[in-house]
Amino acid sequence: MKDINRSMAFFFHYLKSYKLGFTVMTIAIIASTYFQVKAPVYMGKAITALADYVIGLTRGVSDKGNFVSSLWMLFLFFIFSIIAMFFSNIIVTFITGNSTNRMRKGLFGKLQKMTIRFFDSHKDGDILSRFTSDLDNISNALNQALGQIMSNIALMIGIIIMMFQQNVQLAWVTIASTPIAVILAVILIAKTRKYVDIQQKEVGKLNGYINEKISGQKIVITNGLQKDAIDGFLPYNENVRKATFKGQVYSGMLFPVMNGLSLVNTAIVIFFGSWLALNGDMGRTTALGLVVVFVQYSQQFYQPISQISSLYSMFQLAITGAGRLNEMFDEPNEVNSKDKQKLTGLTDGVKLKNVDFGYSPDKEILHDVSINVDKGEMVALVGPTGSGKTTIMNLLNRFYDVTGGSVEFDGVNVKDLELQSLRDHVGIVLQESVLFSGTIRDNIVFGKPDASDEEMISAAKQANIHDFIMSQDKGYDTKVSDENSVFSTGQKQLISIARTILTNPTLLILDEATSNVDTVTEAKIQKAMDTVIQGRTSFVIAHRLKTILDADKIVVLKDGKVIEQGNHQELLDQKGFYSELYNNQFVFE
Amino acid sequence: MDILLKHAKKYRVDIFWAVVMVVIMAVSTLWQPKLLQKVIDAILKDQGDKITSLGIYLIVVAVIGLLAGVVNTILSAKVAQSMSADIRETAFRKIQTFSFGNIERFQAGNIVVRLTNDITQIQTLIMTILQTLIRVPILFVGAFILAMDTIPDLWWIIVILIVAVLGISMLTFGRMGRHFGLMQGLIDRVNELAKENLMGVRVVKSFNQETNEEKRFDKVSDDLNAQNIYVGTLFSVLIPAFTLIGNMAVVAAIYFVGDLAKADPSTVTAITSFINYLMQIMFAIIIGGMMMTFSARAMVSIKRLREILDEEPDIYYTDVPEENLTGSVSFEDVSFSYEGDDKPTLKHINFEVKPGEMIGIVGATGSGKTTLAQMIPRLFDPQEGMVKVGGKNLRDINEKSLRKTVAFVLQKAILFSGTIADNLRQGKEDAAEEDMDVASQIAQASEFINRLPARYDAEVEERSANFSGGQKQRLSITRGVIGKPKILILDDSTSALDAQSEKLVQKALNNELKATTTFVIAEKISSVINADRIFVMDDGELVGEGTHKDLVENSQIYQEIYNTQKGKETV
Repeated sequence: MKDINRSMAFFFHYLKSYKLGFTVMTIAIIASTYFQVKAPVYMGKAITALADYVIGLTRGVSDKGNFVSSLWMLFLFFIFSIIAMFFSNIIVTFITGNSTNRMRKGLFGKLQKMTIRFFDSHKDGDILSRFTSDLDNISNALNQALGQIMSNIALMIGIIIMMFQQNVQLAWVTIASTPIAVILAVILIAKTRKYVDIQQKEVGKLNGYINEKISGQKIVITNGLQKDAIDGFLPYNENVRKATFKGQVYSGMLFPVMNGLSLVNTAIVIFFGSWLALNGDMGRTTALGLVVVFVQYSQQFYQPISQISSLYSMFQLAITGAGRLNEMFDEPNEVNSKDKQKLTGLTDGVKLKNVDFGYSPDKEILHDVSINVDKGEMVALVGPTGSGKTTIMNLLNRFYDVTGGSVEFDGVNVKDLELQSLRDHVGIVLQESVLFSGTIRDNIVFGKPDASDEEMISAAKQANIHDFIMSQDKGYDTKVSDENSVFSTGQKQLISIARTILTNPTLLILDEATSNVDTVTEAKIQKAMDTVIQGRTSFVIAHRLKTILDADKIVVLKDGKVIEQGNHQELLDQKGFYSELYNNQFVFE
Repeated sequence: MDILLKHAKKYRVDIFWAVVMVVIMAVSTLWQPKLLQKVIDAILKDQGDKITSLGIYLIVVAVIGLLAGVVNTILSAKVAQSMSADIRETAFRKIQTFSFGNIERFQAGNIVVRLTNDITQIQTLIMTILQTLIRVPILFVGAFILAMDTIPDLWWIIVILIVAVLGISMLTFGRMGRHFGLMQGLIDRVNELAKENLMGVRVVKSFNQETNEEKRFDKVSDDLNAQNIYVGTLFSVLIPAFTLIGNMAVVAAIYFVGDLAKADPSTVTAITSFINYLMQIMFAIIIGGMMMTFSARAMVSIKRLREILDEEPDIYYTDVPEENLTGSVSFEDVSFSYEGDDKPTLKHINFEVKPGEMIGIVGATGSGKTTLAQMIPRLFDPQEGMVKVGGKNLRDINEKSLRKTVAFVLQKAILFSGTIADNLRQGKEDAAEEDMDVASQIAQASEFINRLPARYDAEVEERSANFSGGQKQRLSITRGVIGKPKILILDDSTSALDAQSEKLVQKALNNELKATTTFVIAEKISSVINADRIFVMDDGELVGEGTHKDLVENSQIYQEIYNTQKGKETV
């Protein structure tokens, strides 16, 4: 219940600014419903008048005036109803579109404000599905709910009122079967939910199997396992066949059952109406008109019931969706540091002072790490996987905050610096390079969108990628995205180096790629790295021996502790972990 | 559509009854207005006795219609489920006949989508056809004929109604289709932007580009909103427009019946049923139109499945008896190019390898090392020349003998969910625990397997997420060596192992599988330095061959590779 309230609060938040729209829409819906339910009355009157006229004909006294005037009223009521319907539809479209758009933009904006911790602890696919299925579900439900539900409820109430005004007995007959219809609808919805859940589970298992086997099809082929693959597939397929059957039966049943009940109900109304016409105390022509009117009502009366019940699952999804969006909006933002001191440059150096850190409170990754880097120095971080190299990188530009000790730039704690100015001065080249969809130009000037062409080309040249870019048909205007493969892994890395060179950072953090690239690109990357490191203060997570040998200082990490520190020669002389690593791994005996 | 027809045969009885039920449903819907007309007639003529029987008649017809609908749903669901399961099975079986070339042509991810999403689309289509699509033309034609029959003089109202509804449908549905396309494109774009911002969140933050990215996203989001509102507006006009047409037809019908009534008073009783038929004609057209738009999507899915079913496997094996082959391998003037490439990947390769030899293959990325190795287990057939294993042309060997003789360990270690033992048995169906012990020792996997409480029965999770890259590779090598193959190919399959373990694996292979011919493809020369012979590949050609010592002295290309690696080892 709390969730539902929160979801409602979410919708309220996004919809409250459309007060005028809602007011107009409500009036339009009420008007449209009024005209719609009132119209059959005139149809009935017209037919009564016509019948009177026809009967009158035989007696020679006849006047069509009543007939024509009723018909005029019918015509006008139809027109009014449609105009009102049109307005309410348009308003719903605009409110739904605009509010969904605001949610989508709000969600993306929120994403930009959240901490790295959030992204590291959530799967991309899960976050992404909030943009796709959750927003979709909400937008569908809004679209349907705002219009359909309101007008259907209005219609139902309107019809009931009209029926009781017209004839109380017939009205009771018409609504008598409603409880049955509602109960049936509820049962069907519940069953559908139950079996669709089972169905989803089985389908999930089957898809999982297919996905795994087909992705590993090369293993299947090289080991000659095709027959086994088919044998494994058959039971999953059979389970899906069985589970889906029930789900489909129940979900497919709603329409024919409601349609059929409507037919039966109409039959009963006709039956009873005609009985009333012959045995009641009203005139035959009046009774005739009444039957016509009630046939219309009983057909319309069932429409809201079946529509509302088919919307039910849509609502469920929207409420869940709103809950999932709420979760995102509840996540903390990155610190606001507008009023803090701005970092303007680096004069002395960067210090990690007795830093403790863990991604979760119960598991500390870094213990009492202290590293001093003087301005202009290059530090190589080495150590086995899991020793904490990448973690140190995360602390330098405050992707995460230390739990103990401090990170200082010229003696100022990073927590006392304005975040944006800090990141303006710290450049990162990640191991896995990311390209954004757009042109190559967009990607290089990413960090400095107002860069001139000369600046951009100079950065690309320094990163050794200019020639390759120019070899493309459209040069710097070549379209790229992370998925299409204009660029190899190595070339992507060169682009991201160019991107960093262009922003000219004071402190550079560089995570050397370990992936295998061909020797030519390898040499290019090496050269580009040398260029970008030159003259800058830098932390390099080093994998290449050459980088390590060039470092002013080598920091050896193991299990989150600094175990050795010094230059290559000093460390070799220590005959510790580093020298052992160096001697063992250097494979050419 | 032929896929559907082919798979429908098995269920023709169910389909027949489903169709019969639809017809009954449609008839009962169409019959009601007729009966209503009679009731009204009876009221006007004051025939009380007739009313009772007509009333019972009405209710019976309606109940039959309801029951027919229920039965139809059950049958439709059965047929839709069974047919789609059958189609899925056919497609899956077909894929199991594919070779590497076929798989690469479609891409694995794409095949998965076809087997899952596309088949779901088809299933919904079958259900819709049996439940709704068949009913629409029956209702349309039936209502049309009955309306004509009820008040023949007003035929022109029916025609105008049909023309108007069809006209508006065609106009808007076509336009809507176009805008749905645009919308889908923008939705994809929204996802792309969200996705790349998730992947690149560190880049965005470290370059302080949050605001710019928001602007970029907002623009796309606004464009999407504009399309949404456009389509929504079309709908907002469309539905009232249809209602308006229907209502006008009703008013016109009543008005002109007023004229007709003078000559023939009985037409008055026909008004309500005539109006009912008009409404049914209109709904039939609208529902039909919406179904068409939906079916268009399912048609695309059918086409995509057809592509799989129509795909010819690249490689067929000859039907010859199983045999035992020796571990010799020879290439006779082998050339090969991948589909769509203008340059051959392998050019006139010739060599002969004796049983038990260890061959290293080195060369730059793209020089054709892996392609060469993939010729040996016949993952591709060369366009020119001949590959022989055990002295026999690969094209004359049956698949089982070949698989038994050659084990191929892929660069990317892939394990399937199940237990470790399940995975190892893929290399040897009847492997006993001793076999697993031996093999895992060779691959240096026993050390971590023994640390697992369940040892070989330890679960491998989906995407083998519970094992590290190095462990996966070691298990993958274990699977390769467990069958003691005559020929073993390791395609850069020790890349995630540290230098120490790699050396141990090689040593164990030397000791335990002496009789096995081994091909080792490697980026690092250190991995093949002890091979009996090393093949040097360059741009699809075999440019050098010999021991490490020979090549360092004689092969320029080998020297180049060696020099770049000498000082490059990682720490």
